[in-house]
Amino acid sequence: MRDVIVIGAGGGGPVVAKELAQRGLSVLLLEAGARHGNPRAEWTHFENDANNPLTGFLRFGPADRNKPGWFRELPQNSFLFQVSGVGGTTQHYFGNCPRAYPGVFAGYDRPDAGAYDTAHRFPFRYDDLVPYYEWVEATLPVQTAAMGRKERTFFDGCETLGIPVQTTKTTLGDSFRPQQNAILQPGGTAGLTRDVSRLAFPQATGCTQCGYCLQGCMEPIRAPRNLFAKRSTDNSYVPMALTADAWSPHGKPVTLIADAFVTRILTETRGGELVATGVTWRVGATGEVHTETAQVVVMAGGTTESPRLWLNSGLPNPNDWVGRGYTDHYFDLMVGLFDKDTDSSKGPASAARAEFPGRGGMENIGLGPALQAFAMQLSDSGSRGFYTNGRGFTGPWDGPAGRPIGPELKDALMNGVNRLLNILIITDDDVEAQNRVLLSALPGDEHGPVPKVVFKPRNRTARTLANREFLVRRATDLLRGAGAKKVFRLDWAPLILHVQSTMRMGQSADDSVLDDTAEARWVKRLFIADNSALANALGGPNPTLTSQALATRTAEKIFQRYFGGDPWVGRETPVVSTADAVTQAVIARGL
Amino acid sequence: MAASDLSRRAFLARIGVLGASVTLLPQCAGPDATGTELSALGLNLIVDLLRPVLGQLARDTLNGFVAFSVPGQDAYSRAQGTPRGEPGGIEAGGTDFLIQNLDRFLPFPDEIVRPAASALVTALRDLPLPIAGNLIFGLLGPSVVTIRLVDDAVRFILENDSNAPLSLPVALLLNYVATVVNPLSLHGAFVSPFARLSFADKARAMAQLETSQSQLVALIDGQVPQPLKASVSGLLQFLGGALHEFAAFGSFGESPRFDPRTRSLTGRPVGWQLTGFLPDNQTGDGWDDLLGYYQDRREVTDA
Repeated sequence: MRDVIVIGAGGGGPVVAKELAQRGLSVLLLEAGARHGNPRAEWTHFENDANNPLTGFLRFGPADRNKPGWFRELPQNSFLFQVSGVGGTTQHYFGNCPRAYPGVFAGYDRPDAGAYDTAHRFPFRYDDLVPYYEWVEATLPVQTAAMGRKERTFFDGCETLGIPVQTTKTTLGDSFRPQQNAILQPGGTAGLTRDVSRLAFPQATGCTQCGYCLQGCMEPIRAPRNLFAKRSTDNSYVPMALTADAWSPHGKPVTLIADAFVTRILTETRGGELVATGVTWRVGATGEVHTETAQVVVMAGGTTESPRLWLNSGLPNPNDWVGRGYTDHYFDLMVGLFDKDTDSSKGPASAARAEFPGRGGMENIGLGPALQAFAMQLSDSGSRGFYTNGRGFTGPWDGPAGRPIGPELKDALMNGVNRLLNILIITDDDVEAQNRVLLSALPGDEHGPVPKVVFKPRNRTARTLANREFLVRRATDLLRGAGAKKVFRLDWAPLILHVQSTMRMGQSADDSVLDDTAEARWVKRLFIADNSALANALGGPNPTLTSQALATRTAEKIFQRYFGGDPWVGRETPVVSTADAVTQAVIARGL
Repeated sequence: MAASDLSRRAFLARIGVLGASVTLLPQCAGPDATGTELSALGLNLIVDLLRPVLGQLARDTLNGFVAFSVPGQDAYSRAQGTPRGEPGGIEAGGTDFLIQNLDRFLPFPDEIVRPAASALVTALRDLPLPIAGNLIFGLLGPSVVTIRLVDDAVRFILENDSNAPLSLPVALLLNYVATVVNPLSLHGAFVSPFARLSFADKARAMAQLETSQSQLVALIDGQVPQPLKASVSGLLQFLGGALHEFAAFGSFGESPRFDPRTRSLTGRPVGWQLTGFLPDNQTGDGWDDLLGYYQDRREVTDA
């Protein structure tokens, strides 16, 4: 029997695993996808090799790339951007670490309190989470991002908007700023040369501005795994979890098993209460089935997978909120074409953002040519100039919203992938019961019934729709201010990438699955530590940091409630994941 | 000729199979093959003969789509009225990319492909045909016997083949909507009606797939049993978007120039040439892109 089994080595699971391993608990960490233990031997920087959703090494599928990916039903024009493997979606994330807006938490009483999703606030105060933010920001670590040319272009536009520069971590008003990124900033020759012979560690440290955040970070060359620039969990929390005995006085290293897809949560009734007792998983390579018991089980397979596993395990769902309330920041994309270089495909994928609390936010995103083309084809407004699919909104951008096709697409891209600027619109969207994960009626796979992800983008709340329309106009102003000669609005169909709140914690037991400690309301000793546990869409900020802060808090609650331990956040000094003791252990153990 | 035979003939013409069979099947069966002789071969052999014909039809159709997505110097781009002076999606290998991903890896279970394909062959024929019937009757080449054989073989392949390539029903669907938006596409260059359309007509055809209220979506849904009913129409809408996204991704990506054995490129991808990406062809481990810190601020705190 283990003390704790954690399901999923993505953005949240390794946080719980590391924190509890540091306390000396016996932790088993199970990951459905590949280990990706040697990126230089397994990965490339190529977009199709990495990001093809069916075949790429960062797809959602089995460790064996010769096998098809895992099917999920999407009954609408949309794209669900899941990633399996150790690190989960942090493997391809941009490392952006804004904190949630304070207005989405209980007890918020500033004048703009009514501007947020007031029906679905977090069941505790923003100030309660701040120590956990600080703990994670120190552990990853999170740093202020440097500028490349695309950030300079973004800031040129921001400076025309009449809003101030934010110089704090907490956002309190409309503002713009460099990202707080979970990326080690450039050191040595990094960022100063393209000569590969001068870009190996330790001559280069931190971000080399390579432009491949989306393809997984393995820079600088020959750096120990925990010193790769981007602090995806495969480079930060997982190395710490696997070496906990080396850097923590009472630490016990986590056991990590990849290619292990959990298919069932085991339970029993104790004293009239349903209690989690362990899990069953299937080994991808062999089909073998294993079962192991634990005192506590933590679900962290992701916002789509956690409700699926819950339902496939036959766990209770008395208020019918399991899988409901899916938020996705109802993204949109604005693309500005320039007659000057922006170097959009270079540097960290996003290092600049603007905040509009109560509305959401926006950030620059740099892409290679294939994903740029992909991004400019996803639309709910049909094909510009030919059909609108009932939408095709007009506004300050050029022409109707929609995908440019054929000659127009080609001309836009031939203007140069480094002479454009993308702005991702990150809407503060409301929790709505209609947007949800349920089990598909289609035949299941080897892991049971598959999830069906339903979004009704045209039927979002008036606040959500208005927020998106506000933001696309501000983004257009920004692009014009930066000198864009032509501005496209794509009106994206749902790109389900920032995923939150399908197993949400909440103030009310009527519309939430978790209590205020992230323990399941109806199954004791069962916690959730991925984005599905978030109460809402955070007001728009990217979710990973908040999910990791919450996972840290959840680990502390587990340790206190079921292992008789004391809390540590605010009392101890966190060990940074780049600490020399971690590095030496990573090297010695070949991690 | 019975009404049902006319209906079959019309339907096979509209999904492109009749034209492809007239053009390609004799090459496979021998130049003198007649309907009666084909019938002596039995269904299994007809199915075997028809497979490569349908494969060519799918490729021709998707060539038409890739040229629509990213036009180039190819014949399909010229035929749709958007010739270009530089290479496009077809030269970039976009068609192979689409076919490989649709056939080998798109993880639609057979249980969804088959009812969808079945709905195609049973339901689409019931859509009102907004064209003069004589356009179809003009295809007088194959005999009634041949039409029945081809019809049976197509249905067999779509409904029973455990490895049914998804590119085929996708191509048949594109051809079907092509004949809806422009009946004249039943005749002309290429094998595929979709590939014969003008650029604007291709856009109109795609609108049929993508618009949730379209007659096509409603009719296909009507033919599929519960609990799959909304699933098939939902997947059609997914497909209506995904075709655009995948064709563009494939056309601007590196896959045709990528050697998976060495994990390196064999040449410069067309999409990189077009967009000016990595002019020195190196995928680089870094750039000299560091301009410093905004307002020289390297750290922020709430304190």
